[in-house]
Amino acid sequence: MSPAIAHVAAALLPGAADPTTSFPTPHLDYRALLPMLIVGGVATLGVLVEAFVPRGKRGITQTVLALGGLVAAMVAVVSNTSIRNITAEGAISVDGPTLFIQGTVIAVSIGALLLIADRALASDADFAAQAADVPGSAAEQASVRAGFVHTEVFPLAMFAVAGMLLFPAANDLITMFVGLEVLSLPLYLLAGMARRRRLLSQEAALKYFLLGAFSSAFFVYGMALVYGYAGSVKFADIATALSSSTHGDPLIIVGLALLGIALIFKLSGAPFHWWTPDVYQGAPTPITAFMAAGTKIAAFGALMRVLFVAFGGLSWDWRPIIWGVAIVTMVVGAVIGVTQTDVKRLLAYSSIAHAGFLLTAVGGITVGTADSESSVLFYLVAYGFMTIGAFAIVMLVRDADGEANHLSRWVGLGRRSPLIAGIFAFFLLAFAGLPPTSGLWAKVAVFKAAYEGGAAPLVIVGMLASAVTAYYYVRIIVLMFFQEPAVDGPTVLAPTVFTSAAVVIGVAATLVLGIVPQPLLDLAGKAVPFLR
Amino acid sequence: MPTAILASGLNASGPETAVFWILAPIAVIFALGMVFSRHTVHAALMLGGVMLILAVFYAAQDAPFLAFVQVIVYTGAVMMLFLFVLMLVGVDTKDSLVETLRGQRFAGVVAAIGFLLLLFTGIVNAGIHGSKGLHAVNFADDQPARGVENAGGNVYQIAKLLFDRYVFAFEATSALLITAALGAMVLAHRQRHTPKLTQRELMQQRFKFGTHPAPLPGPGVYARHNAVDTPALLPDGSPSPLSVSLSVELVSQKHGRAPRPAELGSSAAAHHPASGKGQSE
Repeated sequence: MSPAIAHVAAALLPGAADPTTSFPTPHLDYRALLPMLIVGGVATLGVLVEAFVPRGKRGITQTVLALGGLVAAMVAVVSNTSIRNITAEGAISVDGPTLFIQGTVIAVSIGALLLIADRALASDADFAAQAADVPGSAAEQASVRAGFVHTEVFPLAMFAVAGMLLFPAANDLITMFVGLEVLSLPLYLLAGMARRRRLLSQEAALKYFLLGAFSSAFFVYGMALVYGYAGSVKFADIATALSSSTHGDPLIIVGLALLGIALIFKLSGAPFHWWTPDVYQGAPTPITAFMAAGTKIAAFGALMRVLFVAFGGLSWDWRPIIWGVAIVTMVVGAVIGVTQTDVKRLLAYSSIAHAGFLLTAVGGITVGTADSESSVLFYLVAYGFMTIGAFAIVMLVRDADGEANHLSRWVGLGRRSPLIAGIFAFFLLAFAGLPPTSGLWAKVAVFKAAYEGGAAPLVIVGMLASAVTAYYYVRIIVLMFFQEPAVDGPTVLAPTVFTSAAVVIGVAATLVLGIVPQPLLDLAGKAVPFLR
Repeated sequence: MPTAILASGLNASGPETAVFWILAPIAVIFALGMVFSRHTVHAALMLGGVMLILAVFYAAQDAPFLAFVQVIVYTGAVMMLFLFVLMLVGVDTKDSLVETLRGQRFAGVVAAIGFLLLLFTGIVNAGIHGSKGLHAVNFADDQPARGVENAGGNVYQIAKLLFDRYVFAFEATSALLITAALGAMVLAHRQRHTPKLTQRELMQQRFKFGTHPAPLPGPGVYARHNAVDTPALLPDGSPSPLSVSLSVELVSQKHGRAPRPAELGSSAAAHHPASGKGQSE
């Protein structure tokens, strides 16, 4: 007992401590960490705004604060482009892919935040007036009449953005896990805050939370096994441990499998995609746009870092698995998508199929060749912008009960409002990968990378799956333009400045990248490889 | 047997061994008591006792940080939470012991045996191979390049991991806590739609609109009908409908009780003004 007491005394009384003991100062490269610090700081400020700014002014204050923070973070990312640095005592790797993905996440989040700001503050908002009210109760109607708005969605969304910036930058498993949770927790909450069909929304949030909690548990378990093998959670140490042993240890294989389950869950790859359609459908549409674009981008960044930086030495073990996952994901997204009748569910299956296309490039990459990693980065940019734009259009087609998401309601929309239907058709063409959109070059890039990496079977399945997805995209276009509109069809809301801005960003990015993809391809090429 | 291996493998000092042999049987008794106790509160308190004794063991084995965390987090917070939940659910609630999942009991026994085997192998393994030793772990010099003297025991070592190696993850966790607090507010906090009435306003309302400003009469209590659903008798012998709340009446009707005993007088029907009934809610 006596040595214990001595140590307690040493811990409690600084004077009694060993004089040779000095605490090392952690080295943090604040400039490299600046984008994350800005977004996290703005999110925290947003919480203070909730506490101290009068109710009427909160909406505008939060909007300005969040958008300003994102723009500042974007500037910070752009000014950091020359940095290739592992900082924060090895916990954060600020390298080319990190900066590229952080820039993409921030750009997409600006678009999503415009949608959130529009639909959170409008009189017929998409967010619940008061999420604590029982759905369908008199109190709920009273809250709607009183004009309550949840301006808390802004800080919550900003925390999610902060997590999305940290997740792909993490250079050890513990930091990656914290990033995963910081990005997921606000999304679980936001998914349950829809104003209409609230039970569906709450069900979606609960499903997302429970399944997400399971996947986090898988991640932690995998982390423990990997630590048992490598004696460290740092990616560099795991790579060293793998390179010094010649045989595959079950511990590390099972550990990697468990980590992979969590990561593939987040990027909604099959067979861990079950949450995607329900959550996309139930969540408020601006949030669906946000998580469809942002989560996928961040999760792919993290998956590539785990596979290439830490587990590159095991590529002969994980590559067949990624092949299988890619094939199943593409087939599930394409085939089940055909039967969908709800536009948000259809876009969810489309997003699953896109995860599969992206995985073909990941499965085809030979570790060490930088060229093919950049195709994934390019695809993520193209996919992010078209997703934001497409969901922005979905928000605009409404009837008395809010959004008219059933496809039968979209019949003849092209006759009523040719511009909106035309823009949606443009995004669908981009999803299908037809010219003159960014989708074409994105698909060409990933399939080329997969083919050159020796994954020709994946390319064939990818082509077939693309053809099937093209069928359901073109079916919507036919339905909108070549059929007579219903008499009581939905109205198209006149887009506000915010929504218009988001749509214009989406259209512009998709069109410009479709016509001149080379500058961004070059930039993505300069961003790789990962810093090891 | 495992304790013998432990004692031989770790060179425990005399007082430490004494503490162990005094407290370990008590811990085992508490643990068994927790499992076999019929009363949930007793079980929870026994568990608290086990946790406290474990904290003493940790302290005795040169792990002061773990000892404090054990007391503060487990005994202090988690145990109290247990008790709160027990009190909320009701201390007298009995669990039904019927097996709802088929084969659950069998699977539970198999899992328990597997866990015990795993635990046993781990302890035996540590005993056979010998351990690195407390001193080597507590005073590890894992960063010789820095030239830092890594003395100070495991509190210092944990602090170094938390605030040096994992400082960014540690700080990022605060975002998680803020999100959790904000989320709890969003999902659970209800803003009032109308301002809360003061006592004065309530009083004024009662006199302005109410036909019965005084407190309503209490229910009747009789030798045979000692219940809140039995109406009080007015001076003329008729039951007063104001004395029984409508919801109480509905509940007792649901349970098959006649709220108004027939022998209370046939004049009951005459004293059933509709307005009075509404007010008694």
